[in-house]
Amino acid sequence: MIQLTEETRSGWRVVSVSGRADAEAADALEAALRSAVEANGRVAADFATLDYISSAGLRAVLQAARAAQTRGSEFAVCGLSAPVRKVFDMSGLHHVLRIHGELPC
Amino acid sequence: MLEEVVLLAVDETSGGLRSTREFGTAYALVGAVFFDLALARKIDTGTEAIHILDPGPTGSATLDRVLAAMAQRGDLTTVRQWIDEIFHRRDDLEGEALASLIRQGILRHEKSKRLWIIDVERFPMVDNRPQQDVRLRLAEAILSDIIPDTRDIMLVSIAEPCGLLGYVLTGMQLAARRQRIQMLCNLETISRKVADAINALDATLHQGIPRMM
Repeated sequence: MIQLTEETRSGWRVVSVSGRADAEAADALEAALRSAVEANGRVAADFATLDYISSAGLRAVLQAARAAQTRGSEFAVCGLSAPVRKVFDMSGLHHVLRIHGELPC
Repeated sequence: MLEEVVLLAVDETSGGLRSTREFGTAYALVGAVFFDLALARKIDTGTEAIHILDPGPTGSATLDRVLAAMAQRGDLTTVRQWIDEIFHRRDDLEGEALASLIRQGILRHEKSKRLWIIDVERFPMVDNRPQQDVRLRLAEAILSDIIPDTRDIMLVSIAEPCGLLGYVLTGMQLAARRQRIQMLCNLETISRKVADAINALDATLHQGIPRMM
């Protein structure tokens, strides 16, 4: 189960993601992030309360980042919880995504 | 994914099959099957574990057979265990993908004899556009700095351990983009575990070869 909330802070559209980003939630996650990217020049995905991310969830984040790259928008991932950071580290996503400890705004 | 990689292994001029690293290719084709199951939303993976999401049929006999095997073996829970399990079953994944490509009218099958006794099989292209498409997608994924489509990330990470990228790009291009290829190969759990399996097998084989004095 995933919970998605959005707010705007200092020019950044922040999409906060809680719960589990697995195959069941991947479509909703990708749709929310893509929609934020399409409507905003700067988008941050806040994963501070995300408990788990599977390969399907990671693909959703990567494809949202791809959409941002194609549009020339800024896309950042922030506040990774320990289990999610482990997955990001193993996948080497820091080579592909802007990852911040805190929100950039 | 499985069919795309096998199609890439067909020499477009002779119709011969390029198998450069036999065990590596066999492991990578198992990885391609798991990618196909993931794309069909039948499985999902964590950093180690593999989960069945839906055991229902996919329409592909190969995928359905692997999915049915997974549903029956609850004792095997990790990606690595399943890669080894399917590898050791020695299913003819390459042959099944070739048969499907022939049915789709992309390849045709020719049999002949060399020196009157050795059977030679060739798979000349009937329609070379699908292979061209695979080659273009691979080249773009590797040479550009844009994050590739999910399918193209998977394709790079399977074509690399099969030793097939050398048929798409020059040695100089591959050398210049080695870091990007490694980065793409590392993104997915399935391809990381395929690489682990190949490395473990290589280590075992090297231990079995006596050191020359």
